[in-house]
Amino acid sequence: MLLPVFTLKLRHKIIPGTVAIGRYDGIHPCLAAATQADKVFIHNPHARSQHLSASRAIQSPLESDVSLLNINHAISCLTAGVLNPQLGYDALLVGTQTNLLAYDVYNNSDLFYREVADGANAVVLGTLGDISPPLAIIGGNCALQGFDHEGNDLFWTVTGDNVHSLALCDFDGDGKKELLVGSEDFDIRVFKEDEIVAEMTETEIITSLCSMYGSRFGYALSNGTVGVYDKTARYWRIKSKNHAMSIHAFDLNSDGVPELITGWSNGKVDARSDRTGEVIFKDNFSSAIAGVVEGDYRMDGHVQLICCSVDGEVRGYLPGTSEMRGNHMDTTVEQDLIRELSQKKQTLLLELRNYEENTRAESNSLLSEADGPRGIIPANTKLHTALSVSLGSETQAAHVELCVSTSNDTIIRAVLIFAEGIFVGESHVVHPSIHHLSSSICIPITPPKDVPVDLHLKAFVGYRSSTQFHVFELTRQLPRFSMYALTSPDSASEPLSYVNFIIAERLQRVVIWLSQNFLLPEDTHIQNAPFQVCFTSLRNGGQLCIKMKPSGEITVNTDDIDLAGDIIQSMASFLVIEDLQVEADFPAYFEELRKVLVKVDEYHSVHQKLSANMADNSNLIRSLLVRAEDARLMRDMKTMKNRYMELYDLNKDLLNGYKIRCNNHTELLGNLKAVNQAIQRAGRLRVGKAKNQVITACRDAIRSNNINTLFRIMRVGTAPS
Amino acid sequence: MDLNLNRADYLQVGVTSQKTMKLLPASRHRATQKVVIGDQDGIVTCFGMKKGEAVGVFKTLPGQKIARLELGGVLNTPQEKIFIATGSEIKGFTKRGKQFLSFETNLTESIKAMHISGSDLFLSASYIYNHYCDCKDQHYYLSGDKINDIICLPVERLFRITPVLACQDRVLRVLQGSDLTYEVEVPGPPTVLALHNGNGGNSGEDLLFGTSDGKLGLIQITTSNPIHKWEIRNEKKRGGILCVDSFDIVGDGVKDILVGRDDGMVEVYSFDYANEPILRFDQTLSESVTSIQGGCIGKDGYDEIVVSTYSGWVTGLTTEPIHKESGPGEELKINQEMQNKISSLRSELEHLQYKVLQEREKYQQSSQSSKAKSAVPSFSINDKFILNKDDASYSLILEVQTAIDNVLIQSDVPIDLLDVDKNSAVVSFSSCDSESNDNFLLATYRCQANTTRLELKIRSIEGQYGTLQAYVTPRIQPKTCQVRQYQIKPLSLHQRTHSIDHSRPMNTLTLTGQFSFAEVHSWMVFCLPEVPEKPPAGECVTFYFQNTFLDTQLESNYRKGEGVFKSDNISTISILKDVLSKEATKRKINLNISYEINEVSVKHTLNLIHPKLEYQLLLAKKVQLIDALKELQVHEGNTHFLIPEYRCILEEADHLQEEYKKQPAHLERLYGMITDLFIDKFKFKGTNVKTKVPLLLEILDSYDQNALIAFFDAA
Repeated sequence: MLLPVFTLKLRHKIIPGTVAIGRYDGIHPCLAAATQADKVFIHNPHARSQHLSASRAIQSPLESDVSLLNINHAISCLTAGVLNPQLGYDALLVGTQTNLLAYDVYNNSDLFYREVADGANAVVLGTLGDISPPLAIIGGNCALQGFDHEGNDLFWTVTGDNVHSLALCDFDGDGKKELLVGSEDFDIRVFKEDEIVAEMTETEIITSLCSMYGSRFGYALSNGTVGVYDKTARYWRIKSKNHAMSIHAFDLNSDGVPELITGWSNGKVDARSDRTGEVIFKDNFSSAIAGVVEGDYRMDGHVQLICCSVDGEVRGYLPGTSEMRGNHMDTTVEQDLIRELSQKKQTLLLELRNYEENTRAESNSLLSEADGPRGIIPANTKLHTALSVSLGSETQAAHVELCVSTSNDTIIRAVLIFAEGIFVGESHVVHPSIHHLSSSICIPITPPKDVPVDLHLKAFVGYRSSTQFHVFELTRQLPRFSMYALTSPDSASEPLSYVNFIIAERLQRVVIWLSQNFLLPEDTHIQNAPFQVCFTSLRNGGQLCIKMKPSGEITVNTDDIDLAGDIIQSMASFLVIEDLQVEADFPAYFEELRKVLVKVDEYHSVHQKLSANMADNSNLIRSLLVRAEDARLMRDMKTMKNRYMELYDLNKDLLNGYKIRCNNHTELLGNLKAVNQAIQRAGRLRVGKAKNQVITACRDAIRSNNINTLFRIMRVGTAPS
Repeated sequence: MDLNLNRADYLQVGVTSQKTMKLLPASRHRATQKVVIGDQDGIVTCFGMKKGEAVGVFKTLPGQKIARLELGGVLNTPQEKIFIATGSEIKGFTKRGKQFLSFETNLTESIKAMHISGSDLFLSASYIYNHYCDCKDQHYYLSGDKINDIICLPVERLFRITPVLACQDRVLRVLQGSDLTYEVEVPGPPTVLALHNGNGGNSGEDLLFGTSDGKLGLIQITTSNPIHKWEIRNEKKRGGILCVDSFDIVGDGVKDILVGRDDGMVEVYSFDYANEPILRFDQTLSESVTSIQGGCIGKDGYDEIVVSTYSGWVTGLTTEPIHKESGPGEELKINQEMQNKISSLRSELEHLQYKVLQEREKYQQSSQSSKAKSAVPSFSINDKFILNKDDASYSLILEVQTAIDNVLIQSDVPIDLLDVDKNSAVVSFSSCDSESNDNFLLATYRCQANTTRLELKIRSIEGQYGTLQAYVTPRIQPKTCQVRQYQIKPLSLHQRTHSIDHSRPMNTLTLTGQFSFAEVHSWMVFCLPEVPEKPPAGECVTFYFQNTFLDTQLESNYRKGEGVFKSDNISTISILKDVLSKEATKRKINLNISYEINEVSVKHTLNLIHPKLEYQLLLAKKVQLIDALKELQVHEGNTHFLIPEYRCILEEADHLQEEYKKQPAHLERLYGMITDLFIDKFKFKGTNVKTKVPLLLEILDSYDQNALIAFFDAA
């Protein structure tokens, strides 16, 4: 059993996910964390005497070894580390929704203070790829930005959605770090500098990522799942009803391999083996965990695992010695093992008994309805499932239909479907009323996204009067594009937008891809090129046409640029295409984008105007205040009163101005997100090198504010030379 | 002194019922004792421990489920004859396993509880009590409600036979012969009785009782009246008590009380100088503790608490230290022993697995033939659905002998499922189309590995009634699931009490018509919880109830052709009226319903609600302030500048937050009840005031008692 080597009780609340340890003077480790009222506190137990006293940091009135740093904006992320290698000590980085502060705690000065339009939801510090200086990389509204110690913007790229978590990890084993990005659209993307090398789709928002060792990394989702990936393959995952607040890799049992340490919302901390997910250690706090970090906090040469709770309780654990291996849980592991084995034995015995009783029951009489309550059913009962597309009716929207039926007169009492990402929770239940029981049930499914999903079905089969049912378990896969119904080709309604590309593949392979990814009726046969298939989206009725010519030229017609991107990515991965350049035109979408770009400009100018206004007003305030105080000293109460009245009015104006500024800012953010997404979408229409080219070129075009070039790039994939 | 007990698992038998394990008396002083246990497969197993291995003494053949196991013998000699109750039969075994008695009682129901004293045998089925002497019928008594346990005060000390029945309707019934001497009211439905100190204490009349809501108490049963000695309230909200024993585990010469609960909690209470019980030790096992006894099993010289659990584990909590202080060689040996045990278990498992695989294949093959059928024997589920008085919510506890895979909860009435800290299962709520399929709630609980016990909390609304169903699927092949049904009654938040306050202003509902006593009783069973299913003896019966949420009361008095219901809460009367008329119409019985509404009662109910509402509002307000105050404290460094009220909030911050967390949606529930009261008041007047409800909610938002009463009067 591992006991904490130290326990501290700080009298400050800690905002989850914002804990970092740094040596801000190069020697003494200090714990920094965001606390209430937009402040950061720095706990410095080793250098009690050196009080930090200057503009930003003030000493906490509660404890002598804690200093507070006023940020004045809601803190969204925080980290510490070496930003300037020449400095020899760590910098503290604090991100908010509007800016990023790199702070030199020792000298109590700012290293830089940058405004970031996309906000900073997550921050990570380290070297990325071939960029030699350490970067502070922040992830915000669909955008990633990296700054060096002078605040120069050395890295910039876009990603699919709002970024929630970041980590640096040597993903492909080339000795250089890649950037892992977890975002709101459930994707983990891996950036090799600004090139996406891998994408993994998860089932919920990715809230934390951490590098374990080599190409292995841990992740946590907002639905209580934690797990470990090695490259693109998931090793294991577990799901809890609590939420993982913070994850960290630390070798707690001294076996040379770090474990995944998770801090949970119910105050539990556990360490799980990176290979199996087996718990090797756990402890409980009285409140939710805010952060898990590591550092030599006692300065005795040993690195401790440090866990902090939201109430400010801090515990440090030393890794166990290697002799203690396997004994971190309790001294009675053997007892537990015996109990587990006995449990297994009991289960097997029970199963055996089940079969025995079954054969005994079999030898008795024939099957009758009276056997119903006991749940006896014919042994040859089979469960059939069928997936089809239903175009819906007046009362019901179009959906994918899953029909479950038994092969005889037995009824299905209920069907449970466990599948992630397509229902509100993790499961969907169909439980017909007692009057509507039958031997088949049709379940409408409407997956909100185009992702392939495994449906784990459990059907309770028995008779009407049964109190015990047989559970039939089976798994069906829902194809990626199941929400598209095959329709007859109709050139009149064919969408104007298109993507055009040439592949060197046999027709059959494309047909196989089609049948694997769409729900095609059974009698569909495609023999030879050229062919054309048309689909209607069940979500919005939009058309999708895929044409293939004998030359291998494929045209995808759809107004939905996301869908086009999905189709190309899916096809490319199925046909193993590494590079694909396309020609694309989405007139409606581009027009919209043009409007957005105009709006962005407008909002920018409004923003500047408002800032100028504010500066003017604050000058005015200053002079009014001076004049009012003058009047007071002169005992001219009437003038003083007038001045204060004016001041009051001005203050009101300022407040209004601030509100406008806020609204303007959210609008601006929304539009910037749209622009970032547009670039991302244009990229997704291509594969491999062409994809990165497009993203880089688009970015350059936006920087130089050349809108026409931007659209040309999106169409043909390269900048006009 | 700190009590330190280490857990050691000895043996697993089949699923066990309450009070089915005993320790045989030791043959000589400080020798190890043998364990005898009966399970639901009907097998009695007797074993002793030798060098950490369970060595069987005897084992009987399977039969009917064993409901009780007791030891007996000639008075004042070692009690080492084993008696079991299975079905309606009593069997006796010697300690060597030889059957010497098989006594078929004339009871039509199966025996639920048994007590043995010399040649006297006390038995009870659900409602019937029987006393036999030398297997000859002596006395008989029909109880008003289910009998949970039975005991007789020590005959050898008192020289009179005084049987005591623990009945579900919260009373202990003290008998003499076939007649009731008196009833003792206890704070909850008693589930277990035990003699204090094992012999009835100093007086020989001291009786311990445990209740299904987790309370423990001591009562002296004198010849004329009961004397309540002490009572331990269930502050920590632990499970119901299933078994109690007295044993000096602490080693201070005074017998301690050992308690086993249905949430797996084992507790030891010892006595202080004032003879008040104090909790000395507690430990959780993962499943219900069905029997408990102190003794010595594993190693002579080391006392221990032996418990049996629902799934049939016999476990010792022993004073023997795990790591002995003798040299390092000793420890190695223990490890060796463990390793041997593990490896033998492993090989046994392998063998079993092979056998199971074969059988599985056979089963698969059978599914090819068209004649064969597939029957799977039912697994046993231990379930409990009870109303908690403290927060007026229901607890549903499901326990299965093997690990649970998932549980589907379905309800055809709107109810809320609350989160329970103890359970780790992942819950997922499914959307449900209520109109066509009568589903108001569909939720799945996917359990983590090795979960055998699941606890759910449910909040119901009075007036909305129906059925809650739980489909339990354990992790066993072939996969099956069992459905359990639980009634949500119209007056679901009411609880039986023994007396009510007659001075309150009451509303009366009177029913007359052509209905039998049994019919009106069945309506009562339908409407209210804790009413015995069997119509009580006599022509006329009166039950008292209390609303656990609002503390309003209900008196029901009915006979053939007439029923009178009195409550100070108009809503209760309104619900009763609706349900009863619906039920009567269903059975085509013509009912005359008349009611008498007391206007004062509305004000009275509002006054009852007032302190609760005010407390909740204040609490909410205080909790809201905590964060801001804490920030001020951090900023200023001290709290001297705050007014005392705020300082007080800061000091109690943790407590307040805990209190607030404990009662989620309490305010909303109170608002709902006030709204119901408002609607019901005017419903009886024949006016529909649903349009005025928003106005009422507005008043509640800025709550003031007088304004509210005025609104009720004015509308």
